[in-house]
Amino acid sequence: MKIKSAFSTQDTADASVNELATNLAPLNPKMVLFFASTKYDPESICQQMQDAFPQSQVFGCSTSGEITSGQMFSNGIVAMAFSDVALQDLSIQVVEDLQDGQALNDAFAAFEAHVQAPMAELDPSKYVGLLLIDGLAGAEEAFIESIGDLTNVIFIGGSAGDDLKFAATQVYANGKSYRNAAILALLKPGVEFTFIKTQSFRDLGKTLEVTRADESRREVIEFNGKPAAVGYAEAVGTTVDKAPEFFMQNPVGLFIDDEPYVRSPQQIQGTSILFYCGVVEGMELSLLESTDMIEDTRQAIEQAREDLGGISGIINFNCILRTLELTQKNRTADYGKLFEGVPTVGFSTYGEQFIGHINQTATMLVFK
Amino acid sequence: MAGKIKEMIDLIIGQRAKGNPMLERVIKSKLMLKGVNPKKYDSGSPDDPAVLQKLERMMHTLK
Repeated sequence: MKIKSAFSTQDTADASVNELATNLAPLNPKMVLFFASTKYDPESICQQMQDAFPQSQVFGCSTSGEITSGQMFSNGIVAMAFSDVALQDLSIQVVEDLQDGQALNDAFAAFEAHVQAPMAELDPSKYVGLLLIDGLAGAEEAFIESIGDLTNVIFIGGSAGDDLKFAATQVYANGKSYRNAAILALLKPGVEFTFIKTQSFRDLGKTLEVTRADESRREVIEFNGKPAAVGYAEAVGTTVDKAPEFFMQNPVGLFIDDEPYVRSPQQIQGTSILFYCGVVEGMELSLLESTDMIEDTRQAIEQAREDLGGISGIINFNCILRTLELTQKNRTADYGKLFEGVPTVGFSTYGEQFIGHINQTATMLVFK
Repeated sequence: MAGKIKEMIDLIIGQRAKGNPMLERVIKSKLMLKGVNPKKYDSGSPDDPAVLQKLERMMHTLK
């Protein structure tokens, strides 16, 4: 076995880490990736995970719910172990201050020293990047864009959660816990890999052009030259007062190659709309309507299975808004079952990354 | 002045993708997420300083 996943819902970090170690240590993993509820003390969980796998590079983050093979749950911990067959090489870097542009350059310099090649020249079919980032710093757009400027290697990832407390999210590496930080992992898998970016929406054919925005606040001030709340409400066919009731079912998306990059409205403030991710002046966004998440995700996984000729592991970054919708519709068990029989780890995120920062999406790294 | 935006977009895509169609798509996606839609610009498009600044920053990073 090249990749193995395990989970635990024990009450204490001690007991949970022991359970994970019993399951995963026999693989002699080169890397262990974990996602943990905030019920575990941050300092303890990261130190204990590192201690449990002393020969492995261990990293992870806090969550708002966990996903493993066949199950979606909360208040637990999930972990995935990679053997040296699954993973030929890796380098992990911590960016300790998301506002410090030089810190990202330093991380990339360390990657270049590790692989002995410029990151701009690295072959994206041989290397892949993982990104785990503070979910409350509001820094994801600029960060993932800067990564994209520096390399052709695709970085995929998620924004850490905190069980919907919106107080503090954590990223973990090498036994330490960090806030306002990001973990970057450059992987050279020993097996083929592909990506899934799946969101369950159809285009309603109504365009909302961002004619005025405050990008730093993720705020749209005007759609189509009208106050944003009015423009959105008119497009949906409701009043401004009732517009927030439509946010989850009717977000907006930037269409690229017939695929929406979803931007989810968060709240109306005055006549502006605040979003969960960045919106840029001039963007032509399409009004979306939700479709069947279970069926769409099933098809995306099947497509990946067909493309690769089999799946040995999935890392799933699943938006918390998708999880909330599944919970509301009592379909979390159905979602978990989509991953039955495949080593899987994932968590409910405060944002997903794939080329850019997106919402209401599941981004997945899939290994053959 | 006109056409500089299209020129810079082509240069960025050419430098980064080196003719690889998959990478061309990825780089166009990156540009769109920055608010620069390559399809909207041709050799007659006015040189919008705000767009040029975004592209210059991106080119500078590539060096």
